Amino acid sequence: MAASPLLSAVTSSSRQLLLLLRCISFAKKAQVRISPEGIRISIDEGSIMEAFVFLEKALFTTYKYQTPQPRSAQDDSSDPPVFEISMTALLEILNIFSLSDPTTSSKRPGFSNEPYDANTAHRLHRHAGLNAFSNTTLGITGTCSLTYEGEGSPLSIHMSESDVTTTCDLTTYTADSTEEIPFNRDHLALKTIIRSANLLDSITELSSLNPAEITIQATPNPSRPSGANFTFTASGPLGSANVEFTQDTSSDTPILETFFCPTKTEASFKFSLIKAAQRAMASATKVSLRLDEEGVLSLQFLVEMEVGGVVAGQGGGVAFVDFRVVPLVDDERGNGVEDGSSDEEM
Amino acid sequence: MANLNFSLSSEATGRVYELLVCLAKFGETVAIEARGEKVRNTTVDVYSNLTRVQLTFTALNLSRTAYASFALDSRSFFINYEFQGSGAAKDGDRFTCQILNKALQSVFKGRANDSRGRESAVERCDVSVQDQPDKAECRLVVKMLCKHGMTKTYRLTYEPVEVMHALFDRTAASQGWKISARVLREYIEYFGPKTEQLDLLAAEGKAIFTSFTEKVQDGKEVLKQPLETAISLHTEDFEDFHMQENMHIVISVKDFKAIVTHADTLRTTINAHFSFPTRPLQFSYQSFGIYCEFTLMTTGDYRGASSTPNPNFVTNRSSSRQPSTTPAVAPSRSASEMPPPARPVPNKPPPASQSQRLSLKESMRQAPATRPETDPHPDSLFMPGGDDQVWNPPNYDEEEEMLGWDANNEDPSANFHPTFRDSGSAAQSSRGVQPSAHASQEGLEPTQRLSQLHGMFD
Repeated sequence: MAASPLLSAVTSSSRQLLLLLRCISFAKKAQVRISPEGIRISIDEGSIMEAFVFLEKALFTTYKYQTPQPRSAQDDSSDPPVFEISMTALLEILNIFSLSDPTTSSKRPGFSNEPYDANTAHRLHRHAGLNAFSNTTLGITGTCSLTYEGEGSPLSIHMSESDVTTTCDLTTYTADSTEEIPFNRDHLALKTIIRSANLLDSITELSSLNPAEITIQATPNPSRPSGANFTFTASGPLGSANVEFTQDTSSDTPILETFFCPTKTEASFKFSLIKAAQRAMASATKVSLRLDEEGVLSLQFLVEMEVGGVVAGQGGGVAFVDFRVVPLVDDERGNGVEDGSSDEEM
Repeated sequence: MANLNFSLSSEATGRVYELLVCLAKFGETVAIEARGEKVRNTTVDVYSNLTRVQLTFTALNLSRTAYASFALDSRSFFINYEFQGSGAAKDGDRFTCQILNKALQSVFKGRANDSRGRESAVERCDVSVQDQPDKAECRLVVKMLCKHGMTKTYRLTYEPVEVMHALFDRTAASQGWKISARVLREYIEYFGPKTEQLDLLAAEGKAIFTSFTEKVQDGKEVLKQPLETAISLHTEDFEDFHMQENMHIVISVKDFKAIVTHADTLRTTINAHFSFPTRPLQFSYQSFGIYCEFTLMTTGDYRGASSTPNPNFVTNRSSSRQPSTTPAVAPSRSASEMPPPARPVPNKPPPASQSQRLSLKESMRQAPATRPETDPHPDSLFMPGGDDQVWNPPNYDEEEEMLGWDANNEDPSANFHPTFRDSGSAAQSSRGVQPSAHASQEGLEPTQRLSQLHGMFD
């Protein structure tokens, strides 16, 4: 084992990490892939949906990556280490100070349901005094460091806030499979960018019907009187609903910021999968929604990161959360491309 | 094959949501009735200000003791309103259907507060009924047009049903009060969430609202804890107040809260009309082209109200406005007809008897051609016509009131509320009608039956 750990990263804004990781917290296990550029954490749901978030190097104040020693003479030395950890445990650790953090609770009121206990009182009291070097004054609400010694060792997370420190060792498991859902970004059937809030709104509307599946339709030249270019449709026992977006609007800020669709296309997905991305929709500002010619859906969320503090200033910017969903395939829908005009009214 | 289309502004869309929330407190489903202008009653009546109303949302609770109705004025509430009924129906243009409240609420939800300028704020809401023979599916289509080119369309399944309305005879309800919803809204907060009933009482120049729960015990286990909250309001807080002293009228707290909460969203004043316990009570208010009416069955201490020979009224009405209240002739009730229990009465007649009483009249009933305010019991054997007391409204206090059912939509006298009449047809009891005659009457008043039951147990 190398003298210096394989990965050693420190960030002053564990809340930012938490925010990002919460977006993909729909499964219990997360796959972690460490590379010189950052940490990629991915989640997989029965091989029909996967999501990943890339924690860029810039999100950390220090990020040290030691290229692993070649295990043998074979050529796998440059492969970034891949392992699995428990997602729920990871989130709990990152959340350990959030509940009692006065800045967090004031920003997100509904968030803190922790009773006002003695520990909180103590902390509040401490922060009440004006100290030029206190973390709150500096805009740092605590530091979080991640250390990974190397293959087989735990991922150790060290959280500290004021005088309280917590160290957690997360057992790492060998990754099951490193396969990804293939997405052919060179042969797109649809690409559109909309505000994430609008996508969230649409999904929330449709979820009131309790539907089993959701259909995405897009057409470059709308025929219906509504002139909809892009439609989400779902139906349930109480009826059906759709949310339509049109390019043809007089508004200065059209809802479809970009819209690329060479030919009429359609694909259906399990509604619960799309719904799993709701937290990401709520956190992000924009989303790029793409369908490839096989009907695989890619949702790429742009999450704007707050500039955490003076030190983390360079890290402030954007992060991306990606989702990929495999479409439902049945006889009618086929590959979703060049669908007949027969079920236009669906 | 009705053709109904209407559009709502974003504010009106929010108001529809608010009224749905209120209706949800009464029943799981919402009945929608659209009327064409043709069936408008040309005669002048108390509802004449409502004749333009063309779309109503109603709900009736499961025990059929509470009825809520929201009538939307076709000209002031909607941006545009078109309705053409199927010409085939002989009763004129009418479209009725029933939809799960939950489904409608999810369509209209979250529009109430457009003010914060959400990106997806609704600009207009178009609703149409898809009921054409060339379409396979009958749907209520709600289209929300949002800013920046987003449109949300809902196609909801509906159930075609006959809608039942409660008819309330306001001329019989000589007592009542009027108060700003805002004032009441502040006070309803104090009624405990677990209390069930609300007692209305006027005493010593005050209106006393008491929410209470009767203690229910099953052996040693206390199923319901008694809890009482009383709120006294000076009658000066009311714009109008006229109520018999020491008379207890009991309604459900939940209904009252729902009504007051909704009335407050419209920033309006609530009118209450009632006569005596065990007879219907009506709350009404109107604003922004919405006419709201709630007809609630009451329980309460009947004896306290009716046995007083010369009832005192707590009133802030000027004496000239006071109707003649003391019955000219108050035939004393025979002992057997006396409503049995006295003080723990508010709970009696028990719920069972109440629903039974209402369901008794579920049989279809030919509505009279005359309007209630001129002759409330046209089909009654004992028409008060020959009696000079007919012009004396308080005479009604010896008549048990019934919520009668009428699902007959051919009612030519159909004014705004054609059905479910507050018929009061049981007036005969106190006039010595033999019980056998009552069996065939649709309206048996509870006191009569209770006394008969009493006889059976003796």
